[in-house]
Amino acid sequence: MRKLLIRTLLVVLAGLFTGCAVRPPVAPPPKVPEVEAEPVGPAAAPLLHTARQLASAGDLEPAGAQLERALRIEPRNPLLWQELARIRLGQRLYRQAEGLAARSNSLAAGQPQLRRENWRIIGRARNALGDHQGAREAFDRAGQEQP
Amino acid sequence: MAIASGKALLKRLLTRSTPSGKTPGRRSSGKSPRRSFAKKILLAGLLFAVLLASGYILHLDFVIRERFEGRRFALPARVYARPLELYPGLKLTAAELVKELQLLGYRENPSPREPGSYRWRESRVTLMTRAFVFGDGMQPPVALQADFAGGRVERLQPLGGSEDLALLRLDPALIGGIYPGNNEDRVLVRLSEVPQRVVDALIAVEDVRFHSHRGVDPRGIARALVMTLSGRSLQGGSTLTQQLVKNFFLSSERTLRRKLNEMIMALLLEVHYSKEEILETYLNEVYFGQDGNRAIHGFGLASAHFFDKPLMQVDLSEAALLVGMLKGPSYYSPRRHPERALGRRNLVLAAMAEAGVITDQQQLATRILPLGVVQRPPRGTSPYPAFLNLVHRQLRENYRDQDLRSEGLQIFTTLDPWVQQAAEQALVRRLEQLERNRGLPADSLQGAVLVSDARNGEVQAVVGGRNPRYEGFNRALDARRPVGSLIKPAIFLAALQPPHRYTLASLLDDSPLLLQQPGTEDWQPQNYDKEFHGSVPLYRALAQSYNVSTARLGLELGIAQVQENLRRLGVEPERPGYAASLLGTDAYSVLEMAQLYQTLAGGFRIPPRAIREVLTFDGRPLQRYPLAVEQVIDAPTSYLLTTALQRVVTEGTGRSLSRYLPEGLGAAGKTGTTDALRDSWFAGFTGSRVAVVWLGRDDNQPAGLTGAEGALTVWGQLMAALEQEPLLPVVPEGIENVWIEVSSGRRSAAACPDVIKLPFVVGTAPAEMAPCAAPREKGAVRRWFERIF
Repeated sequence: MRKLLIRTLLVVLAGLFTGCAVRPPVAPPPKVPEVEAEPVGPAAAPLLHTARQLASAGDLEPAGAQLERALRIEPRNPLLWQELARIRLGQRLYRQAEGLAARSNSLAAGQPQLRRENWRIIGRARNALGDHQGAREAFDRAGQEQP
Repeated sequence: MAIASGKALLKRLLTRSTPSGKTPGRRSSGKSPRRSFAKKILLAGLLFAVLLASGYILHLDFVIRERFEGRRFALPARVYARPLELYPGLKLTAAELVKELQLLGYRENPSPREPGSYRWRESRVTLMTRAFVFGDGMQPPVALQADFAGGRVERLQPLGGSEDLALLRLDPALIGGIYPGNNEDRVLVRLSEVPQRVVDALIAVEDVRFHSHRGVDPRGIARALVMTLSGRSLQGGSTLTQQLVKNFFLSSERTLRRKLNEMIMALLLEVHYSKEEILETYLNEVYFGQDGNRAIHGFGLASAHFFDKPLMQVDLSEAALLVGMLKGPSYYSPRRHPERALGRRNLVLAAMAEAGVITDQQQLATRILPLGVVQRPPRGTSPYPAFLNLVHRQLRENYRDQDLRSEGLQIFTTLDPWVQQAAEQALVRRLEQLERNRGLPADSLQGAVLVSDARNGEVQAVVGGRNPRYEGFNRALDARRPVGSLIKPAIFLAALQPPHRYTLASLLDDSPLLLQQPGTEDWQPQNYDKEFHGSVPLYRALAQSYNVSTARLGLELGIAQVQENLRRLGVEPERPGYAASLLGTDAYSVLEMAQLYQTLAGGFRIPPRAIREVLTFDGRPLQRYPLAVEQVIDAPTSYLLTTALQRVVTEGTGRSLSRYLPEGLGAAGKTGTTDALRDSWFAGFTGSRVAVVWLGRDDNQPAGLTGAEGALTVWGQLMAALEQEPLLPVVPEGIENVWIEVSSGRRSAAACPDVIKLPFVVGTAPAEMAPCAAPREKGAVRRWFERIF
């Protein structure tokens, strides 16, 4: 308790002393809370479910169509983008898979599990395209995502 | 013989290659060796005549069969808008849903128990959807009630069901067709789908002995002959088969020779095809009049056109009316001549009673019914010709035009009718206002708009000119005009992208510039305000659209680099690139600019798509146009560029958008103005939509409008009329926000004057501190500070 009081006092004092220069040059980025949001809402959930069923039966094309429909309802859901990326990987549409996984990444700030999986998809797609250097970088990025 | 199912029939017809029927004509044979010369001549002559006749008949046989087979399936492609997806939480009011249902031709009904009907009571809409075959299969009709609250769908309850619906897709609106060259339109029906009353009425009136004759009815001919000889007319006596033959050749010429040909061909048709096949073709072939330049053919389309319902649902009165019209589709048109049509219908009913297919009671009960024709026919020719034009163009990359016009393909597009409506209204109204307010001649200005979904590139609206219904020159796709400053983001992208030679705070030189190159004219770019602005931070050069500093920046980075960026963003620049092209002297279409700004809205290149998928006429998936994305701008650079484009709207040439849009929306965009104010552009995006607007004159005379005075106002009105998601780009890794002193570009602090907070790629922010922010005993204080915490 006393320690806290001293700290508070010091902060106030320091503020008075140094004016506007007190702000450290680089503010540490705010910690993003590590909550994995509700993966998909109730409207898109049945579509995702159907897509997964179709995909596991090998019907990748219609599975992709279901996911695109789900994405029209939740266009910023990184999980849906990732699922579509995985479908394209299965269809051997590697450039597409890479693009979609990157898109998922761009929407998945603070969701390390999703991001790691996206980097793996990117790595596999790049390997298949013969870009082994790029693939290694992607797998490294996957390793750096802290769950 | 029962008629085969549709697919089997098609297959049978398509695989029938050689004639299997008997060939009419006989060979004659002579024998006796001793005949007179004259007799030989006669015989030879006869033989020759028979051969000639056989040849002629064979020829007719070939012609009529080819026509029969070829004509059966000439079905135009049908083009649909996006289907509306309903789910709890969707931003939609009851009134908006009802508007959509009306667009789909749903009928208001106090107890909506039929597919395609609804009832609206305050915040509840009860409806029954229509069955529809989508790419993922048949969706049966669903009866439900939708409850609304707070501008959203609250609940979807199926009637008679237990669990709420999580998602419901309505059937899509038909927005047009791609017709055969002769503009014939039809909705193909199978004989099995045709109600018996229609067939009964047809046979009772047109050909009582249809089922017993062999294509030609001698009794009918005898009657017709008597009529002809008595000098009354050549009318009558034609069987349905003969009428079908006549229809094939579209000639109303009344000569004995044509009549003879018709009879022979009718006989031949009956040799090759069953009565059912002939009847089915007849039902699909007959002509029911014009709708604009579209010809209405067949009972299937006639039923939709006059009663707005499928043929299967027509009642006795309607069946009689349709059959009655055949005698003279325009003379007996129920819309233009209702009394005549009514009289004719009752005549058909009488004939049916006489033939014994209906009772006298039925006849009397039906005679007193009204015609039941809907006043406004469902849309045939598209109300959205500019959008359809884009659809057609994208289809032609994969299909032969001939197939598009004849195979009955079903095209599912991305058009959003309400976005389209907002775009049309914004353009048309603003052009009128601008002309009025500025004393410009009426109808002198033109314009074009394209709106797409920022997240997936789906094109939601295309307006090709100020008369959106006019099927003419499509300015959104085919007009290429200099784009002015719309091109500048490609230069700033080159500056900001790795290796990050510039930051948003880098100071650019906006002092006079003179470019002298051997072989070209001297180039001396000017700012719009004819002034020079000294040192300006990069973000402001874009926001204020300063030409001189931007041109200097572009020259330093290299025109080749800028052109390379244009290609990455998705447009093909003109070659070779001149210095002036840095300031947008190159001409592009609205569609190309939409592609460019689509890429800027997020850093992923997503081709603008107008089509989702194509199904065959019987609902099998034929082709999908999948969502395709490719990252072409790395996330941090994209974030910086978006921030700069948002600054255009908050403090730059686009700030008058605040008159239309709330600030929290965070819209990003760029104005474009060309030489002597010939072209006025605005392109930009919110979190959910990308839109590009061009205004100018067709004769390329000055329109007298800057980008902000003209196109921006259309853009603002359009975007304000639509539901928008705010543009809140996710801050990517590797970005930090730093306070900067604007005038010096040095690092500063929030409490200092003349500062702005700008994002930087980590490690690129200026190190040098502005005097106000420079720590006097920075090192000591910090170390002391850090020890404590």
